[in-house]
Amino acid sequence: MEFVSPEGLRLDGRRPLEMRQLRAEIGSISKADGSAVFEMGNTKVIAAVYGPREVENKSQQISDKALVRCEYTMANFSTGDRVRKPKGDRRSTEISMVIRQTMESCILLEKFPRSQIDIFVQVLQADGGTRSACINAATLALADAGIPMRDLVTSCSAGYLNSTPLLDLNYVEDSAGGPDVTVGLLPKMDKVTLLQTDVALPEILQMDSKLPIDIFENVMQLAIEGCKAVANYIREASKGVEFDQIFLTYIIPGSQHFKDFRK
Amino acid sequence: MNAVDHDTCKVVTPGDVLGKASEISPGKGTYVATDAAGVKLVYAALTGSLSLNSPSSPSDKRLVAEVTGHKAHGAVPERDCIVLCRVKKVTPMMASADIMCVGEKALKEKFTGIIRQHDVRATEVDKVYMYASFRAGDIVKAEVVSFIPILLDFLHPLLAITICSFGSGEKMVPISWTEMQCPVTGQIEQRKVAKVEN
Repeated sequence: MEFVSPEGLRLDGRRPLEMRQLRAEIGSISKADGSAVFEMGNTKVIAAVYGPREVENKSQQISDKALVRCEYTMANFSTGDRVRKPKGDRRSTEISMVIRQTMESCILLEKFPRSQIDIFVQVLQADGGTRSACINAATLALADAGIPMRDLVTSCSAGYLNSTPLLDLNYVEDSAGGPDVTVGLLPKMDKVTLLQTDVALPEILQMDSKLPIDIFENVMQLAIEGCKAVANYIREASKGVEFDQIFLTYIIPGSQHFKDFRK
Repeated sequence: MNAVDHDTCKVVTPGDVLGKASEISPGKGTYVATDAAGVKLVYAALTGSLSLNSPSSPSDKRLVAEVTGHKAHGAVPERDCIVLCRVKKVTPMMASADIMCVGEKALKEKFTGIIRQHDVRATEVDKVYMYASFRAGDIVKAEVVSFIPILLDFLHPLLAITICSFGSGEKMVPISWTEMQCPVTGQIEQRKVAKVEN
């Protein structure tokens, strides 16, 4: 199946290095300490943050820093087929752990010993990149709650289909079976806090399942650039700048990594 | 490296560099970390407006950088801080209380503290009769001693019952170190009374 047309357009009309529309809304849940709704194209995610508050389970209390709890769920109506088990299944547990570890690396936990910070993220509409959208929404919610952080963590995914690195995969491209890389980045520190990759199985692609390291590096670099673009948007959104207009990111052809993988 | 910004209305986000640690000192809402080049920098930890205030102590000539967010995050009780609590349960050996305020800040969600019999007063600690010191519903000012569980003590004369109400619902008036009286009915009840601040 063709994911990149000869003219260089993807299935949804984007260029390979083009991100989807980003939209953020802060403070949607007034009862929570902090909340945010984040959209990446058709993927829509809501995050709510409660804390710092008393640890419910005293046995889990940490004496010198805060405990971070994260729960990732998908609404029943988020995908085409009604989701059977919104939470508790393996994928949700894994993504909850991934988001928790990513946020733990950026929150200044030492400021709140013996307390707990709860992050709840729910996917309202899933169209690929839910992991990244959840991390971005959680960052905005934490900033809204006024919880001190090292930096605003942003996340973006990138993949490799039809011999072209693609930025910000949607659901169709994600399920195509090509490798995809999700990166979580601290943009000002230039530090990667999350790096996850999914490599294709040979049965699906009828090709070698190995992903050459230089292609992997290019795709990872592309995802990092995507993270920085998301960071620019999130920074403005968290300052409360009214951002109603559509925000498109286009990585300019003149940038370094674009030249790298053009053979 | 960014120059130190003296514009007090500047909005910053977490991770923004505020200046060198040698030039400005970290205040609330900021933190210090070493960057890739090995230079110690002061970074913002919150989204909010940056303000550069006068030095905190005469020995430290650096300006204090502070970031104030639009929403202050919930306070957490620390050791040696004064907290305001409401007594929940009283038993002969201890009383449990819900911590509602830390210093001047009200908490959104309560923390639980425990008052032990021998933390109530400094003298004759074994002879303290808990029911004559606190009742459920009293508002109490205490000092946090330790954690897991949060222990509170009242050794300072300013600490103890500040507000309590009688069965009739009237706020009682302190008449001595150990007694409070209802202004409506005149009934006296025993409590551990706090020193009235002038």
